[in-house]
Amino acid sequence: MSTVRERPKPLLLPQFCKGCGRCIESCAKHCITVGTEINPATGLVPVHLDLEQCNGCGLCISACPEPYGLRAEPGKDFVLEDPKALFGPRDKAREAARSIPDERLPLPLVEPLVVKGTYAAAIGALIAGCRHFYGYPITPSTEGAELMAKLLPKLQGVFMQAVSETAAVNMMYGCGGAGLRATTFTSSPGFSLMLEGISYMIGAELPAVFLNVMRGGPGLGNIAPEQSDIKLACRGLGHGNTHAVVLAPSTPQEMLDLTILAFDIAFRYRNPVVILGDGYLGQMTGTVRLPDFVVKPGLPDWAVWGDKGHRENLNCSIFLSESDLEAHNTHLNAKYAAMTAAEQRADLFETDDADVLLVACNTPGRMAKGAVRDLRARGIKAGLFRPMTLWPFPIDALKPMLERVRRIVVVEASNGQLEDEMRLAISHAGVHAPPVINSVRRFGGILPQQREIVERVLGFEGKEAAA
Amino acid sequence: MNVFYDKFERHDHGEGLKGQATHYCAGCGHGLAHKYLAEAIEELGVQDRTVAVSPVGCSVFLYYYFNVGNTQAAHGRAPAVAIGQKTANPDSIVISYQGDGDLASIGLAEIVSTAQMGIPISVVFVNNAIYGMTGGQLAPTTLMGQKTSTTPEGRNEFFGTPIRMAELIAGLDGPVYVERVALYDAKQRVRAKKAITKALKLQVENKGFAFVEVLAECPTHLGMNPSDAEKWVKEKMTAVFPLGIKKDVENPPDHAKPGTPEFNPAHLMEVFEGTTEKAPRFCNEFPSGWATDDIALKFAGAGGDGAQTAALLVARAGINEGYDATHIPSYGPESRGGTSYADVHIARTEVLSPASPSPHILVAFNAPSLARFGPTVVPGGTIVYDSSVIVDVPALAKGVKAIGVPMTRIASELGRLVVKNVVALGALQAATSLFPEETVLTAIRQALKSKCAMIPLNEEAFARGSQAVRNHES
Ligand code: SF4
Ligand code: SF4
Ligand code: SF4
Repeated sequence: MSTVRERPKPLLLPQFCKGCGRCIESCAKHCITVGTEINPATGLVPVHLDLEQCNGCGLCISACPEPYGLRAEPGKDFVLEDPKALFGPRDKAREAARSIPDERLPLPLVEPLVVKGTYAAAIGALIAGCRHFYGYPITPSTEGAELMAKLLPKLQGVFMQAVSETAAVNMMYGCGGAGLRATTFTSSPGFSLMLEGISYMIGAELPAVFLNVMRGGPGLGNIAPEQSDIKLACRGLGHGNTHAVVLAPSTPQEMLDLTILAFDIAFRYRNPVVILGDGYLGQMTGTVRLPDFVVKPGLPDWAVWGDKGHRENLNCSIFLSESDLEAHNTHLNAKYAAMTAAEQRADLFETDDADVLLVACNTPGRMAKGAVRDLRARGIKAGLFRPMTLWPFPIDALKPMLERVRRIVVVEASNGQLEDEMRLAISHAGVHAPPVINSVRRFGGILPQQREIVERVLGFEGKEAAA
Repeated sequence: MNVFYDKFERHDHGEGLKGQATHYCAGCGHGLAHKYLAEAIEELGVQDRTVAVSPVGCSVFLYYYFNVGNTQAAHGRAPAVAIGQKTANPDSIVISYQGDGDLASIGLAEIVSTAQMGIPISVVFVNNAIYGMTGGQLAPTTLMGQKTSTTPEGRNEFFGTPIRMAELIAGLDGPVYVERVALYDAKQRVRAKKAITKALKLQVENKGFAFVEVLAECPTHLGMNPSDAEKWVKEKMTAVFPLGIKKDVENPPDHAKPGTPEFNPAHLMEVFEGTTEKAPRFCNEFPSGWATDDIALKFAGAGGDGAQTAALLVARAGINEGYDATHIPSYGPESRGGTSYADVHIARTEVLSPASPSPHILVAFNAPSLARFGPTVVPGGTIVYDSSVIVDVPALAKGVKAIGVPMTRIASELGRLVVKNVVALGALQAATSLFPEETVLTAIRQALKSKCAMIPLNEEAFARGSQAVRNHES
C-alpha cells in the first residue's frame, strides 16, 4: 500500500464510495456512519467519516470492496482534488513487448518417410514448431494423437489428454493466447464439441490448428470416412461471424505440407485454421517428403505470456458496446477478405482442355483423379478441379473455367456439402449461368470409387447426348 | 496499489467515474475477493508473472481491474484456459477466478479434472448462492428453500441440494490446498486474505493446485442490504458450507515442470526416425507386367494373419525403388478379429486411386477372403493363397493364376506362426516377380532394424515361400 505512515487513517473520496456500508460495521470505534447526502456525481449516498476516535486499525479499509474506495491516507501533502496524487508511482514507462520472430532452422535432407496420413500431420505439426497438443481420443483421429503423445515428450513438449473436447479447445485458447502453437486431432463429433471454443478463439483472434479427420454422421454415425463437416468448417464455426481457412489435403504428403502451412496461416491472421481430412486419408500410408527446414517459433507481441512486457495484453471476445462490437466485426471481415484474396488454393489436373470438370477434394479427389485418366482413355475430355482450401473456396481459379467447360461433376463423400460451397462461391462471383452441375455423392462411410465415378460421368454424358 | 490499474480503461473506456469504480453492485463480495487477490499478487511480488483468467458471470470483467496478463474464458472453461496458459509458460502464475455457475455448474468437468491433475494453478471460487449476471437464477449452490427467479417457490428436492465444491475438490488427489472462507466480518476477511495469499504462494513455490472457495454476498439478488447479506451468509450459508481448511498437504513435493521445448533439427530428425541413407535400388524398370502405370494389390486375411504388415512391406519396397506407393487398411470393428484387408497401389509416378476394388494381385490368408476377393481379381491377375487353410477356390476371371502355398504349415515348421506373412511374401515374389527379390528382402530387413535377431528366420520364411511356388510350378 502506498503509504509512509505506520497506522494511517482511512481516506475516502466520496465519488468512489458506493455507500454499501460494509465499512460501517467493521469499525469498532464507530467512526463511520451512514451518509445522508446524495453525491451528485454518482447518485449514490457515500458514508460519512468522523475520524476523531480512529486508531488507524485499517479494518474499514479491508472491508471496502472498491479498489479506490476507502484507502489509507497517503500523507499530508496530497491534493484532495486530484485523485492521481493518491496513487504511487506507476511504471507506465516500461517497454511493451516486441515480437520475437519465428526462425527457420535447416533440416538435413532426409529420405522420404513412409507414414500414414495422421502421422504425417503430426510430424508436420512438429516441423511447424508446435510443441503443445491438447485433445480427446476419438476414432479415426486417435493414431495421430498417439504419435504426438510419444514424440512430444522427447521434444520437451506438452501432450495433454483433456477431460473432453470442450476442455481441449479451451486449453488451446490458453496456449494460443500465450502466443504458442497449439494443435488438436479430432473427428466429427469431437469437432462439434470444439465449435464453442473456436468461436471464442476467432473472437479473441487467437491462432491454433485443428485437424478434423471426418467420419460418418450425423450423431454418432460411424467411424468410416465421410466429408461430413465441410458445412460445419466453412459455415458453422460456432456462433457469430466466424470464418477460418479450411484446408483439404488428399495425400499423406499434403497432410504434412498443409499442416505446416496451417500454422503459418493461423499466426499470420491470428485466427484458427481447420484441416479437414477423412478417415481413409488418415489411415493411408504413403511417401512423405520432409521440407528442408523446421520452425523455431518466436513469441508475438500480442501474447498473454505473463511477463512484464506483455502485461497490457488481453485475450477476450467481449465487446460490450454495440459500436465496439460492430467495429470488431468490421475488423474481422477485413481479415476474412484478406484470407479470401490471398489463401485460395486448388490443384488442377488435366483442366486445360477439359469439357467435363470433376470437382472433388480429400480422398474422393484422388478417386476422381483416377477417373479423369480413365475417362480420357474413353475419349471424354475430363479434368479435375481439386480445392485445397474449402474456405475460401478457390473461385478465382475456377471462374475462368466456367465459361469453357460443358459440365461440372461434383464428387463427394457427403450430401452435397462441397457442392454447396462451390455453388455459393460461383454465385458470389457473379456467375449466374454456370455449366450443368451434376453430382456423384456417397455417404455413410462409402467413398465414391473410381469406377463408379467413371460410370456416372458416362451416364451424364450419354443422357446429354440423347437429349 | 499497483496491481489494480490506476485507471480502468476497459470499463466503459475508462470514462468518468467508471475509470476508478468497479462495475459491481454496492456491497458485492467480488470486490473484496479482488482486493485480497490484488494484495496477494503485490505481496508475493509476482505481478510481472501473473495471468488472470476471467470467467463468465458477474466477475467476467475482472480484466478491467487487474494490471496483469489477462485472458477471458468461455463459460465454465477457465480452468482449461488456465491449463493452456500454464503449460505454455510454466513460469507464469495463473489464476482462475470463477463464480458458482461457472465453476460448479457448466464447468464442473473442467474444474474437477484440472484439480485432479494437480497442475499448479490457483483457483478463487466465489460462491454467492445465486446467478448474478443473468439476473438471480438458481445456482448449484443455492440453498434449500432459497427463492430465485427460476425457483420462485424456493429450491426444493427436485433441484437437488446445494453442491459443496470445497469438500468435493478436497476429496481429489490433485490439490495441495483447499479452504473455504467468508467475508462477512473482519475476522473472516483476514482469513480470506490469508487463504488467497497462500493459494497463490503455493503456485509461486510450484507446489500444486490450490483452491479457495469464498462465500460472498450478492446483496442485489438476495434482495437485501449488504449488512443483511453478510448476516445471511454468516447464518444461512455457513450452515450448509462449513468454513475452514478442507485439505492442506504438508510439505508437498515440487510439481514436475515441463521442460523448455526443443527445436534442434538433428534431434527432430532422430525423433521422426528419419534417415539420410538411401535405400538401395535393384529395379531397372517399372514392373509393367500387370498395368502400365499403376498396379493394384490386395492382402486379405483374419486379424493376426499379418496381412497389413505384408501389405506395408510391399508398399515400402515400391517406395524404396522410387515409385509412388500407398497402403490403406480396412479398419474399424471389422478389423478387430474379423477380416483384415489392405489395399496397396504401386504407381510409376503417382497413385491416383488408392483403393483396390479390382486388384491385379491378391494374397489371401483364409477361405472367406479368397471367396470374397478372388472373383474381383482382374483377368490375367495372380492370386497367392494359403493352401493349409483354403480348400476351395472360387470361380475366377479369365486367365487368373491361383497358386496355393501352405503358408501356415511352413510357418509352423519354422516354429513361428507369425512369419506366415513373410512366407506369403516369398510366395508372392516367386509367383509374380513384382520386384527383384532383394527389393523385398531389403524392405523386410528395414522393418526388422530393431529386431536384427529375427532377420535370419524371416529370410528363411521368405525363401521357403518362394520355393513352394517353384515346386508348385515345376
Ligand atoms: S481505521 Fe479502524 S478505527 Fe479508523 S475508521 Fe477504520 S476501522 Fe475505524
Ligand atoms: S465499504 Fe467502501 S464503498 Fe462501501 S460504504 Fe464503505 S467506503 Fe463506501
Ligand atoms: S449481481 Fe450480485 S454478484 Fe453480481 S455484481 Fe451484483 S451483487 Fe455482485
